[in-house]
Amino acid sequence: MNSRIRHAYVHVPFCRHRCGYCDFTLVAGRDDLFENYFTALGVELKRLNQPIKLDTLYLGGGTPTHLGPDGVKRLFSEFHDALQPLPTAEVTIEANPLDVSESMIEAFHECGINRVSLGVQSLNSVTLKKLDRDHRESDVRQVMNLLGKSGLTVSVDLIIAAPGQTLDLVARDVEEIISLCAHHVSVYCLTWEVGTAFWGKRARGTLTPVVEDLEREMFELVIDQLSDAGYKQYEVSNFAQPAMTCRHNEAYWDCRAWEAFGPGAARFDGRNRTTNLRSVSVWIKKLLNNQSVTGDVDTMTAEGAARERLVLGLRRRCGVDRPAFFQASGFEVDDLAEKSIQEWVAAGFAEDDGRCIRLTRSGMLLSDSLWSAVL
Amino acid sequence: MPFDCKHIRNFSIVAHIDHGKSTLADRLLENTGTVEKRQLKTQMLDDMELERQRGITIKARAVRMEYRHNGELYELNLIDTPGHVDFHYEVSRSLACCEGAVLLVDAFQGVEAQTVANAYAAINEDLEIVPVINKVDLVHARVDEVLLEMEQSLAIEPEEVIRASAKTGIGIDDLLAAIIDRIPPPQGDPEKALQALIFDSHYDSYRGVITYVRIIDGTVTKGQKIRFLKTGVTHEVLDLGQFVPQRRSCDQLAAGQVGYLVCNIKDVEHVHIGDTLSVPGKDGAAAVAGYKPPQRMVYCGLYPSEGENFEELRESLERLAINDPSFEFQPESSEALGFGFRCGFLGLLHMEIIQQRLEQEADLDLVQTAPNVTYQLLLKNGETLEIRNPQDVPDTGQIEEFRQPIVRCNFLVPVEFIGPVMQLCSDRRGVFLKTEYLSPTRAMLSFDLPLGEVIYDLHDKIKSVTRGYGTLDYELQGYFPADLARLDILVGGKKVDALSIICDRRDADRRGRAIVKKLRGEIDRHMFEVALQAAIGTKIIARETISALRKNVTAKCYGGDISRKKKLWAKQKEGKKRMKSIGSVDIPQKAFMAVLETGAERQ
Repeated sequence: MNSRIRHAYVHVPFCRHRCGYCDFTLVAGRDDLFENYFTALGVELKRLNQPIKLDTLYLGGGTPTHLGPDGVKRLFSEFHDALQPLPTAEVTIEANPLDVSESMIEAFHECGINRVSLGVQSLNSVTLKKLDRDHRESDVRQVMNLLGKSGLTVSVDLIIAAPGQTLDLVARDVEEIISLCAHHVSVYCLTWEVGTAFWGKRARGTLTPVVEDLEREMFELVIDQLSDAGYKQYEVSNFAQPAMTCRHNEAYWDCRAWEAFGPGAARFDGRNRTTNLRSVSVWIKKLLNNQSVTGDVDTMTAEGAARERLVLGLRRRCGVDRPAFFQASGFEVDDLAEKSIQEWVAAGFAEDDGRCIRLTRSGMLLSDSLWSAVL
Repeated sequence: MPFDCKHIRNFSIVAHIDHGKSTLADRLLENTGTVEKRQLKTQMLDDMELERQRGITIKARAVRMEYRHNGELYELNLIDTPGHVDFHYEVSRSLACCEGAVLLVDAFQGVEAQTVANAYAAINEDLEIVPVINKVDLVHARVDEVLLEMEQSLAIEPEEVIRASAKTGIGIDDLLAAIIDRIPPPQGDPEKALQALIFDSHYDSYRGVITYVRIIDGTVTKGQKIRFLKTGVTHEVLDLGQFVPQRRSCDQLAAGQVGYLVCNIKDVEHVHIGDTLSVPGKDGAAAVAGYKPPQRMVYCGLYPSEGENFEELRESLERLAINDPSFEFQPESSEALGFGFRCGFLGLLHMEIIQQRLEQEADLDLVQTAPNVTYQLLLKNGETLEIRNPQDVPDTGQIEEFRQPIVRCNFLVPVEFIGPVMQLCSDRRGVFLKTEYLSPTRAMLSFDLPLGEVIYDLHDKIKSVTRGYGTLDYELQGYFPADLARLDILVGGKKVDALSIICDRRDADRRGRAIVKKLRGEIDRHMFEVALQAAIGTKIIARETISALRKNVTAKCYGGDISRKKKLWAKQKEGKKRMKSIGSVDIPQKAFMAVLETGAERQ
């Protein structure tokens, strides 16, 4: 099985502080756990039968750069021979602007990291404060400047529809991102997750979400601005300059198999998706005791997997190509969803040239309402 | 052991709900040694677990006890009665089997609507009333005041009232003595031709229908042929006996006694509550007076969520009807809901009970339409129509007269709530009859009200305007003409037949507005705008709009997100499955009750 896996994800569950909207698997202010984390990760990696040669490796979090330059190097030393990026591999690390320094960039180079995903979120001080972020807009400018000279591929995360944000503020954030020459931009409308501080504040009425009409306007504006600047929207939330798409994420949406390590990390073998236990301390304890850290298992039938492939494919702007889909899944698109596709085309939510089906912009903006018909 | 009539007492316990009837029954069973204390599970009469364990159903509606009083042994038969207004008729049949009734009143709650209704039902049957004030040991008991209420409302002498606590056993022996001393023995002749009154029945999967009877005259023995007077059918008695409280066979039942008969009857519909049993041939006795067929007052549509479950629903309804002949159903179809059944019930509670059993026993997803009462229509051509479904109302041009059922409602309320109750009833087009003060703190108000208003939301409303202290009971007065109309609801321009209601024309604007407003909250936004309209005929009287969804898309969908998101989407799919599509609008099942639930916005 391992021989066909070409992608790996490693979850680094540490942050300086937890932002109010965040429901990811992480611990804030527990730097004392670094050492145990490295040891546990080593144990989990040793469970691989054989080393994996990687097309892509993605270090996500949390904030992997919160480990510091030495910590990042230490992390890579834990990979030993288990994870072997090929010379052409895309190796991405998620970074907080406050952590990126000359020595951090040096560490990136030393480890073979060639792509940085920077958690910018906004370039407006009020929005950053609203979002509970710990960096300032000036930090971002300085870091983008450093990274620009480093030769690394730079991706920027942007949050829109933050409480109190206006259309104009969104436009200015995007303009500045473009002027800072990011190769790749991920744009997320703020999602209100159960259990977050934001969720509670909304329930108590101390935070008010942006109304849906404005949210849509903001998102459409961003799509237009980025397209005009030469970024192509290749998935709902992702925009790239030519040839700068994230190969790792494309592997997810292509339903290729990948390995994953770290608390809450999910792996996929082509049919089953298993998710590690989410609690950092439990994940550490179990690994140190040589116990299993498997949590949820999502086992799919061949048809279930094909339906999932259809959804993930339609979230991509290139859409779903009928022959390629059949080749990869063994199912004909039309056997799975012919009627729905016809309805979508009739309603203006999709285009179908007989070979390829892709969602229109309005279909994409409402796509969650479409999936119940095909899943 | 044969008991002569002089040593038999037949009685019921009548009370308002929660006044301690079941606990009192338990205490009687215990004090008479019918059930030993260690076997006594609380609320013996209500407990079905025992029956479930044995895989049979005994409705323990009649228990035989023995009690020694002044040196002589007596047979006491306790005949249980349903407490709720829906079952008035069954109550009256049970009471017809008794010579006395224990009237139980809670020492804190006092006299309530069903206390009065049930006490009058017993008085109307000429029963000897043995009044008991229960829970006298409660800290908050207000014994003197409640005694005054009983005197004022029911002319009961305070000194006749037995002070008791069913929970702790205070006064139970006094009560048993009073039952024997005050309640007259049955007047019957075991030598005369058999005359027995059927007061209940149930279906047992092994033995067929078990018929509950009170022998008025004559004697019935095993092997004897008996005739059901209403149907004229003759059956052989295969087994007979009494409930002690489990079934116990005996050789004969004679005049005055209460027990059960098993006659190899496979269909409970052939056994009518209130019917009379006698011997075949010309020597048979006459029927006991007062038999009435069950009267269904409330109808609603029941539809399977999934059209293909229609046959399963039919089978489930048939199974339920086996044990409950007062429930009826007929296939019908609705453009909105497909194929289903129009079901008739004695009242709202009866409807809820049937629904619950259907859900528990059948595991079917159902869509229920809002209940409506039956209406009478006099057409211009002289024909009279009974309307059980608003869809069946013909064009206004054909209608000469539209009649609705009117009930006489008695409300028992603390005096400080008289004003709000008056207001509520006049809002509901009630006709005020009288106020009676039962004590300085409690009063009884009487109104004639449309039954449609009562089932709409009156019960909840009374509870809320009296902070839970008000109770009501009602009795059908008959059908009377009114200015009624059918109000239709359109969703996305299409009429949803299952949402039509019949209402007073003067209320139509208000009801229409309330319904579309409620629907607006029940129906999720769609990818297009959805118009909700209320109309009488072609005239639109209210409108609301559900704006289109503008944005609904998951932002992050990476490796670890996919399973989680998929679960979310799958959940939406499940939710959608339980909705009905009208045109391309998904209407959740709850919305079909919206026409009833608008009460909150009414005032």
